[in-house]
Amino acid sequence: MSDDEQETTRTRVPMPIATLSDPHLGDAAKHPSRVEGIIALIFVLGIVMTAGFGAAYWQNWNPWIIGGTMGAGLFLLGFGLTAWGKYLMPQGPFVEERHVLAGSPEERGAMSAALVERSAVVVKRRKLLGGLFALGAGIFGIVAIFPLLRSLGPVPGTSLDRTDWRKGSLLVDSNGRSVKRGTLVVGGIMTVYPQNFEYSPNGQATDQTVLIRVQDSDLVTAPGRETWAPAGYVAYSKVCTHLGCPVGLYEQQLELLVCPCHQSMFNVRNGAVPQFGPAPRPLPQLPLYFDSDGTLRAQTGFDQAVGPGFFERTTTEKL
Amino acid sequence: MGPYGRVGQVVDELDDRLGIAKGGRVFLDKIFPDHWSFMLGEIALYSFVVLIATGIFLALYFVPSTNQVIYHGTYKPLRGQVVSEAYESTVNISFAVRGGLLVRQMHHWAADIFVGSIVVHMARVFFTGAFRKPRETNWLIGTTMLILAILEGFIGYSLPDDLISGTGLRIGYSIAESIPFVGSYLTSFLWGGTFPGNVIIERFYLIHVFIIPLAIAGLLAAHLGLLVRQKHTQFKGEGRTETNVVGSPMFPTFMAKTTGFLFMVAGATALLGAFAQINPIWQFGSYDPSKISYAVQPDWYMGWLDGALRIMPSWEFAGWGHTVPLEVFLPAVVFPGLIFTIALLWPALEHRITGDNELHNLLDRPRDRPKRTAAGAALFALLFVLFAASSTDVLANYFHLSLNFVLWAFRVLTFVVPIVVAFVTYGICREMQGVQGIGKRKRAVIVYRSAEGEYSTVTAAPRPDDEHEELDPEPVPVRIDIEPLANGPQAANAESSPTGARRVTR
Amino acid sequence: MPDARRRQVRRTQRRRLLLPGGLLAIAALGFLALVVPAVSAQASTTDKTGKTTTLGNSIKSCGSLNLKGVSTAANSGNPVTSTRLVCMDGALILYGNSSITYANPPASFAAAGKLLFDQTCASCHGSDANGVSPTGTATIGPNLQGVGTATVDFWVTTGRMPATDIAAVEAERKPPKLTNLQALEVAAYINSLDPSVPAVPTPHLKGANVANGASLFALNCAACHTITGAGDALAFGTNAPSLQDKKVTAQQVAEAVRIGPANMPRFSGNLSDTQVRDIVAYVTTYIQHPTNPGGAGLGGVGPVAEGFIALLLGVGGLALICFWIGERA
Repeated sequence: MSDDEQETTRTRVPMPIATLSDPHLGDAAKHPSRVEGIIALIFVLGIVMTAGFGAAYWQNWNPWIIGGTMGAGLFLLGFGLTAWGKYLMPQGPFVEERHVLAGSPEERGAMSAALVERSAVVVKRRKLLGGLFALGAGIFGIVAIFPLLRSLGPVPGTSLDRTDWRKGSLLVDSNGRSVKRGTLVVGGIMTVYPQNFEYSPNGQATDQTVLIRVQDSDLVTAPGRETWAPAGYVAYSKVCTHLGCPVGLYEQQLELLVCPCHQSMFNVRNGAVPQFGPAPRPLPQLPLYFDSDGTLRAQTGFDQAVGPGFFERTTTEKL
Repeated sequence: MGPYGRVGQVVDELDDRLGIAKGGRVFLDKIFPDHWSFMLGEIALYSFVVLIATGIFLALYFVPSTNQVIYHGTYKPLRGQVVSEAYESTVNISFAVRGGLLVRQMHHWAADIFVGSIVVHMARVFFTGAFRKPRETNWLIGTTMLILAILEGFIGYSLPDDLISGTGLRIGYSIAESIPFVGSYLTSFLWGGTFPGNVIIERFYLIHVFIIPLAIAGLLAAHLGLLVRQKHTQFKGEGRTETNVVGSPMFPTFMAKTTGFLFMVAGATALLGAFAQINPIWQFGSYDPSKISYAVQPDWYMGWLDGALRIMPSWEFAGWGHTVPLEVFLPAVVFPGLIFTIALLWPALEHRITGDNELHNLLDRPRDRPKRTAAGAALFALLFVLFAASSTDVLANYFHLSLNFVLWAFRVLTFVVPIVVAFVTYGICREMQGVQGIGKRKRAVIVYRSAEGEYSTVTAAPRPDDEHEELDPEPVPVRIDIEPLANGPQAANAESSPTGARRVTR
Repeated sequence: MPDARRRQVRRTQRRRLLLPGGLLAIAALGFLALVVPAVSAQASTTDKTGKTTTLGNSIKSCGSLNLKGVSTAANSGNPVTSTRLVCMDGALILYGNSSITYANPPASFAAAGKLLFDQTCASCHGSDANGVSPTGTATIGPNLQGVGTATVDFWVTTGRMPATDIAAVEAERKPPKLTNLQALEVAAYINSLDPSVPAVPTPHLKGANVANGASLFALNCAACHTITGAGDALAFGTNAPSLQDKKVTAQQVAEAVRIGPANMPRFSGNLSDTQVRDIVAYVTTYIQHPTNPGGAGLGGVGPVAEGFIALLLGVGGLALICFWIGERA
């Protein structure tokens, strides 16, 4: 297309030409040449730093030198460029008119008409098809959830209700060593697992149990638990009933198990009942006994689900 | 070759194919208001750029796998220990990959700055009322990006599978589990079974490097697109109206300043990554569900939830064969859900309360809207108290107070402080509204005493630097005379430009 | 030469031999009396394989010993199950194994120890160290009889004792009032009242496995002391002290683990001497001298400090830059 054709199809607008002396185009700085010199210096420093970064990386110097030179180089170059933009480029102020985003009432009417009237043509005339498609889309939406959600994992079932502790489970530490009558002294604490589960992450997560020697003689933590803590060895689930953190913090003289995450405090002498903090339930207690070799074993598993609460959890602890 | 040389040729060729000339010129002329607080969103934008760049680097070396391996690397206290591959690859990045530790730390610092700058930017938008019509959609997009950024950060620092972030995951699992009806199903699906399972790192990796960045990028494009289309808001002032924008032009000024700022954000992140250690996972060790450290904290943007969880009383509802752990569900699910819902609905709420349906392109000064400012200040005060509450143990240790006392104090402060802050803020705003010339430097007053002993005052002349002449805003010039004609003002003639350019029409 | 003179000379020569010879004989007998039982005691407890033999007899030869403070598990700081055991004069001198040896200060220290005790400790612990007031029957302080030398040495060398604030929930570490030697003297005195265990441990750090130590530290210690050993406030005004403090010595760490001071649990049979030695090695190296390759450690307290820096320096600093770049209204 030639120039002449272009001119006839577009509207002509008077075009003011500005000169460089226009203050809108002028430098914001009072001493532009001095500012230019400073910015030039900053750029030179930035280049030196960037080159330094190259050298530092190539020579594998300390991370802080690699990072320091890279950061300084980037920062200085950016600083110089921004200063150039702020002090030496046209600041204006310039004005631009906001064009009204909204269309005219006629345009709006036309759009609404298209939506309402044309869809009425469809819906009024082909109700059956519209309804069927809507039904199909809805069913697809529901069914699509299956691969998106259901395939991800199993339903919880009873997986949250039980641990691997059973009748006669041997208590072992993280190295597989069993516990004898004389292993812990009063005030001692260790983490134990059922034998063969001390290495698996899933076992560690749910089966972890703290074993504390509170005294030398049998300890009764609650009515009905007379045999649960022989020779003062008492075992509680280590999974906090608040949010599942391991309750590994034991204060010997206060006889308190404190959860390190949100500071729930459990009294070890009376069945790990929470004395303070957000935990809602006591830590489940594992009943123990000494077998004929004098090794510590579990009488049964826990009498309830361990760890934090969930909707299907049915047992409530009564003390 | 035309009068604009090779550049003109390129413009012509591109215009023939893409039609960029007309829109491009408009784009180059775009005006950006210059107030400093309008650049806070750019901190977020550029830290996102840094996150993408550093993230690509990290993704080349990270192994998202929970398979157990034995560490044989350079860090002695880990040698021979059984760790997950994810953890091993992260320690590898920190010690064996050249620049790896720097990039890892840059990535983490940039993430903290990203969320922080979004909050600061959101606060600016809130307190100046920029979310009002026609910008409610942008507010929704922005709030959604905040939620995604927080999630992204949590998932990101959980990827190395170290002791501290693993504990955070255990807590996240328990929080999800606490949701009535669906909690245990949700966690079983997401974790592929009970905690810890062996798929969560792989799944989180996919979410962290693909799904959420894609979502944020898309929302970001929409956010910026709306900004370009609706144009930026501006404060009231000389020559500024509801129907114009006053400021500096896109090209060259704004482009220079914003590109420079990108370099500076990247540079600042690199300096932080070089000199300040963050998340030293080799000290923490690999995650073991039976190990725990005291004084474990989530990253700062999750701190408010940690504080809420700590101070919540231990209310658990158990009955009719079911349990609803309210001490988890309320502070960690209901409370943030409420906060974010109110945030999303705020433009609609304010519209309902004020009945204001006008288009607003001019911003409020916070003091001009005392109720909104007080509400926002109260929310920030609440969040701040909760942040502080997540450090109860550190505070008790530092000030030698009983931990129990500190916890009770925070239970009280959570309610008292926001209310007090709301009233005080409201009062300050009302006062500031009533004060003449507030924010402007006061002029000195000269006191005269007449012979009779009468005192009178005269305002002194303004100091030389206090007076500042602002030019009237003008449209961006279409053409600039780089070399004016020897014969003076006649050059200002549209028909004959000294450079002999062909006529351009709008 | 006349006979009288010759007789005189012979008598003098005999006297010159008698005194030194007699003294020598007494010395030889005394030496034998001291050394032979000691040597025979050693010979009877360690043979070439380092295994214990005739333990029962040897431990009996240590006199009455209060074994309340230790577990029966092997290599857990129990003299009975140690591979090394030295008793002398009915007193336990040394026991342990190649990882940690436990030794009591010499019994001769007890006299000086009693003087120091009467000056510094008796006002709270009673003149008989049983916690009973010197002037009556009221209990005024903890009973120290039977606590063992390691306990006394730990509390005194860390400066926690003598306590200056009786009302405090837990005594804090502070500059010690008694020197290390004086601490041992007081320990010897306390031990003389009721000989007990554990004795003062000396961990042998050469050949320690710091990886094992790191893993054990995470399982047993980090729950109170934090994973970086920074320490923190616990319940009801108690606290776990910082292990990053370089004044904490290897000996004090080993002592604390074995005696369980204040609210710290007592680790006996659940940690063998080798495990304790590995933990001590890890604490004195990587806890007290973290490598911090990433830059400033920020106190090792984790995301709280990091958040402060990110918000104040990061966002705040960049906002200040925005303030510079842009206009003010």
